[in-house]
Amino acid sequence: MQRGNIFDYKNYLYFKLAVVMILIAFAAFMVFEPAVGHYGGSWIGYGLGTISALMVLWMAWYGVRKRRYRSAGTTQGWLSAHIYLGTALTVIVTLHSGFHFGFNIHTLAYGLLLVVVVSGFFGNYAYMIYPRQMTENMGEDSLDGLLLRIAEANKLARQIALLMPDDINNIVTHACQATHIGVGILEQLRGFQPNCPSALAVQKLTTMGNHLSTEQRKLHRELYSIMVRRQSLVKRARQDLMYRSRLGFWLYFHVPFAIALLVAMTAHIIAVFFYW
Amino acid sequence: MIHCLLIKITTNSRNLPVRSYHTLTAEELTFGRAAECSVHLPDPRIAMHHAVIKRMNDEQLHIVSINGELEVDGAIQQTIILTQGQQIMIGPYQLTMEPAPPDVDIAASLTLMHRLPDDFQDLKSRTHDPLPNASSFKRKLSAWMAGLITLIFLALPLAQNLIPQLRTAMTDLPFGFDRVWSPGHFSNAHLRFISQCSNCHQTLSRRVTDQACLKCHTDTAPHIADKNLELRAFKTARLSTGGMRCAQCHREHKAPFSLAQQDNANCIKCHGNIKTVNPNTTLKNIHDFDVDHPGFKLTFKNNTKDANIERIPQSDKARLIEKSGIKFPHSQHVGLVQGPGGMWDVHELPCSACHHQDGKEMRFKPVSFKRDCLSCHSQQLVVGPPKARLKIPHSEENNVFNQLKVYAPKQQLQYSENLKSDGCGYCHDIVDSKKGDALPWHIAPVSINQDWFSKAHFNHASHRTHKCQSCHDVDHSESSADVAMPDRKSCLRCHSGNSQKYKRIPSTCMSCHDFHNSHTMSENEVENKSGNTKSIATKVKPN
Repeated sequence: MQRGNIFDYKNYLYFKLAVVMILIAFAAFMVFEPAVGHYGGSWIGYGLGTISALMVLWMAWYGVRKRRYRSAGTTQGWLSAHIYLGTALTVIVTLHSGFHFGFNIHTLAYGLLLVVVVSGFFGNYAYMIYPRQMTENMGEDSLDGLLLRIAEANKLARQIALLMPDDINNIVTHACQATHIGVGILEQLRGFQPNCPSALAVQKLTTMGNHLSTEQRKLHRELYSIMVRRQSLVKRARQDLMYRSRLGFWLYFHVPFAIALLVAMTAHIIAVFFYW
Repeated sequence: MIHCLLIKITTNSRNLPVRSYHTLTAEELTFGRAAECSVHLPDPRIAMHHAVIKRMNDEQLHIVSINGELEVDGAIQQTIILTQGQQIMIGPYQLTMEPAPPDVDIAASLTLMHRLPDDFQDLKSRTHDPLPNASSFKRKLSAWMAGLITLIFLALPLAQNLIPQLRTAMTDLPFGFDRVWSPGHFSNAHLRFISQCSNCHQTLSRRVTDQACLKCHTDTAPHIADKNLELRAFKTARLSTGGMRCAQCHREHKAPFSLAQQDNANCIKCHGNIKTVNPNTTLKNIHDFDVDHPGFKLTFKNNTKDANIERIPQSDKARLIEKSGIKFPHSQHVGLVQGPGGMWDVHELPCSACHHQDGKEMRFKPVSFKRDCLSCHSQQLVVGPPKARLKIPHSEENNVFNQLKVYAPKQQLQYSENLKSDGCGYCHDIVDSKKGDALPWHIAPVSINQDWFSKAHFNHASHRTHKCQSCHDVDHSESSADVAMPDRKSCLRCHSGNSQKYKRIPSTCMSCHDFHNSHTMSENEVENKSGNTKSIATKVKPN
């Protein structure tokens, strides 16, 4: 892992801050227990709730902050705080709830927060793992570069297949025409095409060279090596799309649920103070 | 032999058609990818040997598919008779039958209709960008979720509260829109009243008022009988929000926790520094039963007119004398006792032989002569010298003296003295008659105290695992004047105060005291507070 990243920013400053916050919250939770058990409306509950609400607003402000070039602090520092304090927030909110859950706006807000945090964890994981794998996968190539090389391989393979028997020609043609790369979100996230014609073509070509003439066998070998090379290019292109989609997919949950959380939290606070 | 004129139509760089003419002569004209075919079509969509034109038995020319497909007007056919003007698709090529010149059998033009697409562009069209339309999806999802949450969890509950017509219309429904605001489970006591939040939350943004509670709980006793003092006390206790509300101690939506608050915090707010509430009070500051709770006071019934109840501290032992009007040594009625059969009738007499439990809190029914004494003692009073004994049934003193008048009119005085010392006087206190009274003496009224701790409650049922004598020292009580009530130290053997101690369970104020037990009650109020069985003093009827 690179040195000086978001996790060990300023010698784990925000990690330490998060740990201290969690410890203080736990200590307060253990020491001041109301007679009717913990709940959000006790003094300790109000305290934890107020801190949590302010933290949620501050977390949401990160979405605005990261789109600005000029603001207080570095974006790296903000992200480090966003991650660590967001984790501490989950603990504080859980203590605020007093472990009372039901079918109401309060638990809904809590559930939305959990979705936001868990999706954030996945995003965190994705940004820890995938950039390195993307670089390993692509090297200095770009996706368009790969596609160009696949297209060239297609052309070459088809030309050779013109001289081959119909079954081989059909397989190659089908592989060239039916292979697609990352069509649909599911395929992008999975990183492979079910029953991929390119893979099937390579598989079938291995068993189809027996009845060929000597001249054709030579061509078959050449065709096979092209198809194998082409298949590895297709695989790399798909992997690249998979990493890129996984890097962005968690935001499908993180952002909309964060906005829903802000609305639910507002409703939660209004409900609490309108119905004392 | 077939003589064929084949016109190949291609396009030049300016996309204009270029026609090239070929004359083919063969037994059969083959079309295919293979080099040996008469018409060589180098396209991957064409089979190696795709089709053949040959003369069939009917002497007409047919085109017959071999390994490829032939289409006419979109329909795949195996064999097609060649006629002028006919258009046949051979893979991506179109074969059009032209008017034949005289020196050939047939003439046909061949055009490549569907070119192979550019490989790169084709592949690009089958490669999607990562997460297409992500921004618009996220925007739409955000808007939908925010909208739904606002509608269901904010707008509808607010509308129900702010629009009186809607509120009225929903009154009889099993629940309202604002149910989604309920923060927790309801207590069992209120389960019948939760159909609408507004039953208790009467005004939006105002906390539940006492009026909402008092709508149903009309007979709740105050904490202090003096209304002004109570108001002042509660205002002092709740400095921050002013006044004390029912909901301060009775927390709803907290089931399965008790609806009534059981900790001492609110009690100590006043009783920890009671002088701030009432400078004239004689009460002491109390923070903890284990630490600074004063010794118990026992409630005595006082016959003087100005104060019916007197509360005497247990430390003032000289004044702890019960005047029950009965002579009853507990020591002779506990453990192994002699029954009516004399020394041959010795048996164990438990406390429950006379003290019969009553109710789920295991209070006790008043002792009854008929039920409790007659099991051992005779109902008849035997008086007089051995030779002239009279047996008079146990009854009111008037009846007893009337019987004496009837059976021994002349020795009435002697029998009367005998009754006074050994008959009625055996169990009852005797008081002298006033001047002019018809009877020479009277039986003192019987008044056995039933509730010594009138300002607290004690649940015998919770303590039934202990022997009665572990708290009530009656084994050595020779006189009915003794008061065998346990003191605070006895309680502290098993109980602690606010916090748990080693082998002692914590006890809050509410463990013994009732907040709604008004503190300056008259005798009648005390007697009625828990029904007759808990009345302070009960007269025991002689029969």
